Amino acid sequence: MIDPDDALLLNAYVDGELDAAGVIEIERRLGAEPELAAAHDRLLGLREAMRIHTPRQAAPDALKARILADVLEERPSEPVTMRIWRRHAPSAGLLTSLAASLVVAAGLVGYFAAPRATPEGEMMDSLIAGHMRGQISGRPVDVASSDKHTVKPWLAAKLPVAAVVVDLANEGFPLVGARLDIVDGGGAPTLVFKRREHLISLTELPAQHGATKSSNATRRGYPVVSWTDREHSYVAISDLSPAELQTFARLFREAADREWSAAPGAQE
Amino acid sequence: MTDDIARRRFHEHVLPHLDDVYSLARWITGDTADAEDVAQEACLRAFKAFAVVSPERPRAFLLTVTRNAAYSWLSKNRSRALVLAGAAEEAEAQACADIPAVPSQEEAMIAASDQASVTEAIATLPLAFREVLVLREINGLSYRDIAEATGAPLGTVMSRLARARALLAERLGALR
Repeated sequence: MIDPDDALLLNAYVDGELDAAGVIEIERRLGAEPELAAAHDRLLGLREAMRIHTPRQAAPDALKARILADVLEERPSEPVTMRIWRRHAPSAGLLTSLAASLVVAAGLVGYFAAPRATPEGEMMDSLIAGHMRGQISGRPVDVASSDKHTVKPWLAAKLPVAAVVVDLANEGFPLVGARLDIVDGGGAPTLVFKRREHLISLTELPAQHGATKSSNATRRGYPVVSWTDREHSYVAISDLSPAELQTFARLFREAADREWSAAPGAQE
Repeated sequence: MTDDIARRRFHEHVLPHLDDVYSLARWITGDTADAEDVAQEACLRAFKAFAVVSPERPRAFLLTVTRNAAYSWLSKNRSRALVLAGAAEEAEAQACADIPAVPSQEEAMIAASDQASVTEAIATLPLAFREVLVLREINGLSYRDIAEATGAPLGTVMSRLARARALLAERLGALR
């Protein structure tokens, strides 16, 4: 039986809510105290059981359509075409369904047509569109594999450059696979990782390609983290909380660094 | 004009997170049809709110609105559930002093648990524990955001979460 305060600490550790000093302390104790380590394993087991058995449920399509129609239809200005149709009204039922689908369509257009049109903005928008398309289609990857030795050759066969591929399963972000996104008319490798039921799209771009500094932003409702290392720029997009996405970005950077220093041609 | 802003914010901050809204509503109400009504009400509230405020952390804000909509719904349709939730607060007083000693085989039992038993074990947790667990594990909110969403102090969130997990482990272990 572990101390109640330790139980709180352990939960906070598992949830990534401890500061660096707290993490160092608890990891030291996990190595030294078998009872605490057993409690830690149980928490991880429980989380795993929840991750497998109680994923986030997808909102039914009917609900989405209802919300778009009912919530947003409150607007006084409806599309002109609808008013014209209403005057020559055919059947009421058909009209309602037409109106509903128009509102849905108008909503989607608004979704894609909003902010500014800088080159970087356009690039971000196309990456976000790629991420959304992956989620909506239920097919976020072109090659599905958690093995980087499968994913890397697949990308290498399609692109002129070797993409950096790491697996972060041990850190809680297993690799799901990869796809090619189109940026600026060319292909860009996008790795897809998973956190609980959330997907993360990580796209690698040539370093000179726009975003040079690290940045955390929200675009079209998605947290977006971007950064640049020696040779590449990266853009990570997800519907995770921004804090978790930043954790992911940090872990990926560290893993990519390790990979780079281990590579035969690397020299400091 | 304000309506356009609300509309834009709605597209940016609500539509990408409908699954989160729906899941939370479903775990709180325990029913798919009720969850749809709650989700719709939450979206309507968020839309109205976006006409006047621009929340700093929109996703946490949206889930707070959802949680509140679910509670209004419960108080209207199932006030008994809320009375029971109140009892959880009292149980919580001893909660920390009372984290059960879990037998070591339990770990294997948790690993072997199936979807129905996990769902059942979570669904029957007292509401105050269940919502914290769902906000954390399924919606992925930070402790700070959960504290804001539930109106509970951070320490209370932490003890509820620890207690929720201990209860869950106990139930899954006791199932076989």
